[in-house]
Amino acid sequence: MAANFWTSSHCKKLLEQEDIAHVSPIDQNRGLTTEDAKIIKVHLSNYIRKLAQHAKVRQRVVATAIAYFRRIYTRKSFSEYDPRLVAPTCLYLASKAEESTVQAKLLHYYMKNFGTAPDEKVFRYEIKDVLEMEMRLLEALDYYLVIYHPYRPLVQLLQDAGLTELIQTTWALVNDSYGTDLILMYPPYVIALACIYIGCILKEKDARTWFEELRVDMNVIKNIAMEILDFYDNYRQIPEERVHAAFIKLPPRS
Amino acid sequence: MAELSTTSGRYIKGVTLGEGTYGVVFKALDTLTNRTVAVKKIRLGKYKEGVHVTALREIKLLKELHDPNIIELIDVYPHKRNLNLVFEFMESDLEAVIKDRNIVLSSADIKSYMQMTLKGLAQCHKKWVLHRDLKPNNLLIATDGQLKLADFGLARILGSPDRNFTHQVFARWYRAPELLFGSKQYGAGVDIWAAGCIFAELMLRRPFLQGSSDIDQLGKIFAAFGTPRESQWPDMTSLPDYVEYQYCPAPPLRSLFPMASEDALDILLRMLTFDPKSRITAQQALEHRYFLIEPAPTRPVLLPRPPTRPEGKSKPAEVASPAAPIVLSPPNKARRVTLFPGGAGGDVHSSGRVDTGYPFPSRDASGGTVPGETPSDHGEIPMSVDMRTTAGQAIPPRPTLNSTDRSYLKRKLDMDLAVSHYQEEQQI
Repeated sequence: MAANFWTSSHCKKLLEQEDIAHVSPIDQNRGLTTEDAKIIKVHLSNYIRKLAQHAKVRQRVVATAIAYFRRIYTRKSFSEYDPRLVAPTCLYLASKAEESTVQAKLLHYYMKNFGTAPDEKVFRYEIKDVLEMEMRLLEALDYYLVIYHPYRPLVQLLQDAGLTELIQTTWALVNDSYGTDLILMYPPYVIALACIYIGCILKEKDARTWFEELRVDMNVIKNIAMEILDFYDNYRQIPEERVHAAFIKLPPRS
Repeated sequence: MAELSTTSGRYIKGVTLGEGTYGVVFKALDTLTNRTVAVKKIRLGKYKEGVHVTALREIKLLKELHDPNIIELIDVYPHKRNLNLVFEFMESDLEAVIKDRNIVLSSADIKSYMQMTLKGLAQCHKKWVLHRDLKPNNLLIATDGQLKLADFGLARILGSPDRNFTHQVFARWYRAPELLFGSKQYGAGVDIWAAGCIFAELMLRRPFLQGSSDIDQLGKIFAAFGTPRESQWPDMTSLPDYVEYQYCPAPPLRSLFPMASEDALDILLRMLTFDPKSRITAQQALEHRYFLIEPAPTRPVLLPRPPTRPEGKSKPAEVASPAAPIVLSPPNKARRVTLFPGGAGGDVHSSGRVDTGYPFPSRDASGGTVPGETPSDHGEIPMSVDMRTTAGQAIPPRPTLNSTDRSYLKRKLDMDLAVSHYQEEQQI
């Protein structure tokens, strides 16, 4: 979105690491660890992506859906908001908010037939569960629905740097940055810069002078880059039994 | 307050103010702040598509827009299976002001209303939000006289420049020429055009360009400003629904607005410029000489306002549009009311209407009536110059978006999901 990020609710609601990493007491009682929570979020972010591929929505819708999903769990517990249902509902809500509505019955069809559902429990949810959850999610999000993404600044920054050949690599890096909570913590253009930074290292481009002229805090950029690289090291491929071990602690609400 | 009942504990429900397309609006007392508020209750329908997109849009955008000249969304809360939107309570709207014959609007008053409208718009546009449904009854007036933009149910965020928008927005009389020619890639200029029409309406005290179909609307526009030449609007001929209109010269603008100052005419002409690219922006308009020189805009609190709004008629745009013309003049003039068959009918979109030999309206030398269409053609009031002649006439009902438009819009929105031309995912 080309709108003004600095005056947006998204900007005012940026969070610190400690606001995000905590696990709610109810979840802790079920034995859910910070690591479990991270795995559940990564797994369901991928699930949203897969559903979205079937629904053929724009990249932005996916990004917004994942941002909603992650934002909700900075406030709510997995125990009270079953992530198996929250994930597809986030996609449903995001598709409306980003003006490319996916019909509820289609979404439900994809839920039943495609994508790697976290476990078979997702099949129990019906359309009405999605619609009921939509209301609860709106409330949990405090009705703030506008989310800014790094895609647009990425394109602009690459043009400015004269590095447009990096678009594919960096675009994919931005996609994968949604495997983390970065979107809740940093302005989108900073995430875009971090992806360009990684892209430059991967493709051996020298953009040091360009970065210096930007006068951004390179420590912040490097921290974000480290977080993205950590995602590749540890969460790109999560062993199935590890996912299973996390989800088994979360019986769906009957 | 009638029928006391509690809503969500915080609001005490009052009388019903009106019924919109997607819900009922009632007056309520906010016990937390002791403020009077308007609660819009959104029907969710029987488990079909959850929260209505229109409502979602309004929530999404108003949560981001905070400005003295934009309606404040105070709160949103779910109630049973409904979603309730709590707005600040607005006493009246600009349509009521324009229609109230007891109100005399001085040029300072008009300037004040225009300034507030443009300030609200400038704020929207700064945040890349297009309102897309500007008309006098969406400009609400608060108890302190502040004018506020409301009803963002059709508003959109201007995102990627290549995304197509529907051109079926705005009530017809406020639709910019590029929309009437079917443009799907438009910008903030569409809101400015509508604001220009509202400006003219404030001066004339009746809607400025009252077309009875899209084709007729363009005819009315060209009759007032002359048929645009290619040099005035180079992109015109490449618009999807472009049709050629017989050339018609522009009458002097002065003849249409005899009372207006030179600066008023200048800013009006800049707002109603054909080529959206050269149309003035809201911010530029606010810096125009018109707002800088005497008379200074009236302070909002001193603006003339209709006494009190009759209950039952109120804020959401969809509420209005009475089935028959309202007689504003004394009862003995009621016989002068003319029917307006075109108003309530479906929106005839331009394609298919072109070859029917539609009479092109051209102005005769006297500048008063449009001889190309006799009253029996449309049964409506010809565009006239002299506001005194219209003072006693009934104003035909304002066309709002009718059900045809709405279902068209809905189809458009559903189609959006088919248009996924964004970069597919790429794995490293």
